[in-house]
Amino acid sequence: MRLLEEIGYLFVRGLKQSMRPTAALLPSLFMPVFFFLISSAAFSSVARLPGFTSGSYLQFYAPAAILMAIFFSSGDAGIDLVVDITSGYLDKLMIAPIHHLSIILGKLTAVGVRSMVQATLVMIIILLAGGRIVTGLPGLVTILLLGGLFGIAWSAIGMSIALRTRNQRATQSSFILFFPFTFVTTSQMPLNLLHGWYRAAVQLNPVTYVLEAIRSVTSVGWDGRVIGMGFLVALCTGVCTISFALVSFRKAIP
Amino acid sequence: MSSSIVQVEELTRRYGDVTAVDCISFDVQEGGFFGFLGPNGAGKTTTMRILATLLKPTSGLARVAGIDVTRDPQAVRKLIGFAMQDVSLDLMASANENLQLLGVLYGMSRRASRARAAELIEMVGLTKVADRWVSTFSGGMRRRLDLAGVLMHSPRLLFLDEPTQGLDPHARRLIWDYLRELNASGSTIFLTTHYMDEADTLCRDLAFIDKGRIIRSGEPAELKASLGGDVIQITFGEEAPMERVQSVLGRLRGAQSLAVHDQTITMTSANGGELVPHIVRELDSAELAPVSLSVSQPSLEDVFVSLVGRSILDDETQLVQGRDPFVEGRR
Repeated sequence: MRLLEEIGYLFVRGLKQSMRPTAALLPSLFMPVFFFLISSAAFSSVARLPGFTSGSYLQFYAPAAILMAIFFSSGDAGIDLVVDITSGYLDKLMIAPIHHLSIILGKLTAVGVRSMVQATLVMIIILLAGGRIVTGLPGLVTILLLGGLFGIAWSAIGMSIALRTRNQRATQSSFILFFPFTFVTTSQMPLNLLHGWYRAAVQLNPVTYVLEAIRSVTSVGWDGRVIGMGFLVALCTGVCTISFALVSFRKAIP
Repeated sequence: MSSSIVQVEELTRRYGDVTAVDCISFDVQEGGFFGFLGPNGAGKTTTMRILATLLKPTSGLARVAGIDVTRDPQAVRKLIGFAMQDVSLDLMASANENLQLLGVLYGMSRRASRARAAELIEMVGLTKVADRWVSTFSGGMRRRLDLAGVLMHSPRLLFLDEPTQGLDPHARRLIWDYLRELNASGSTIFLTTHYMDEADTLCRDLAFIDKGRIIRSGEPAELKASLGGDVIQITFGEEAPMERVQSVLGRLRGAQSLAVHDQTITMTSANGGELVPHIVRELDSAELAPVSLSVSQPSLEDVFVSLVGRSILDDETQLVQGRDPFVEGRR
């Protein structure tokens, strides 16, 4: 019971930390919206390719923009943690008589909620730009749950780097992982139009399955197999990354 | 009769080949005001971090209120407060938010935490800015808030690591006043500092640490009296041959100790006034002209110089030993 209370307090603190100052949220909102508007305009004629069955390119690209919002918001978790480490604030929490696990779990849950908030804002912009969610409100909730779960899983990578290096630049550099994990997917082209090694790499990338689950909800409909696979992959990724973060945390504390 | 709230026995902490704390032993009495003095990198912070459960010792024993810090750190954490060398606050939160969070994490109800935070914020004179983000605070305001945070749960034992470093004289005096009040109200204070005037003003017991070892401990008055009289300081110009100066003054009868620090000679004597004419005569006949000469009562700085032959603020010392390997490793 006490553990849940501690997680609750640290969740609120983590959420405030990740959303202050408000202006700092803009880049993580701007990037997905920018890619969405540019790509859907630049590649609109791709929709006329034989084998492209997703209707408009705007509708096809929308899940990639949602996923990007999740990537960007969860990527900040490592930075927030390294700020706590270098400022000595983590030490202050460490000498409080609390479960040390609550420090990490509070931060992870805060990241999950922030990912949901960012994804919601991007979805509003997508809807205003003419995109739609074919599964309606339940679909929106599904996307948020999946986004929150994947955001937590992804954020644990940055947090592990923060704990192991205790260095802001090293933690910030984890941002480069975003590129292969986002672009070596079906974010820009459907799988049936991809070939060779690239297709194989896309199929090996776990993010592809999360992306396809979101795409199913926004553009195809309730496909239990695809959506279930997205949740399963996000969960498995989370188990691996969070375990690694917890081991890193354990190593970082006396 | 008071009992020991801190007991340290043969405590050692190594970082690879570097021994930061080298088999030290000391006690701190409950209700006392204890000063742990030494230059940067002497091992003060490492010792304090071990006692505050942030670091495990390589060997030896450390107890707080009779509890082994390695066996039951959670029990120790409830009893202590630790104001670290660098102020550790959530800069993107207000003063109120910072303190209230600490309160609830230490097991207070939200209401009690709010009330205690308001009380402490008032005590440190920050009521008007209580809802402003800490990032807008000056260094002195942050230090005062940090200190207030440490007091949220009314700890029995307070660790303060260089609490006035970088503060202006007014802010330092404010902090000194808070510390005296806290100590008077029953909290034991364990302070590290390299400001000798601070230790002399506040502490009732002291230990000098250098290169990881405790070199002397006792009450300030007792330590100063151990120098046996007056301190004579003679400063020479940049070009002065200090080895020759040392040799000339070393021959004088009546000087109890002699130490050189940069271009300054520090001597102790049972009667400084009587020795000064002899010093002047000897220097004159050796054609050595000092820039200044003073006779004073000994300070704690003089005690340190007499023990290790250099100043606690010696730049060279800071360069050679100033790297606390723990801090370095963490950055």
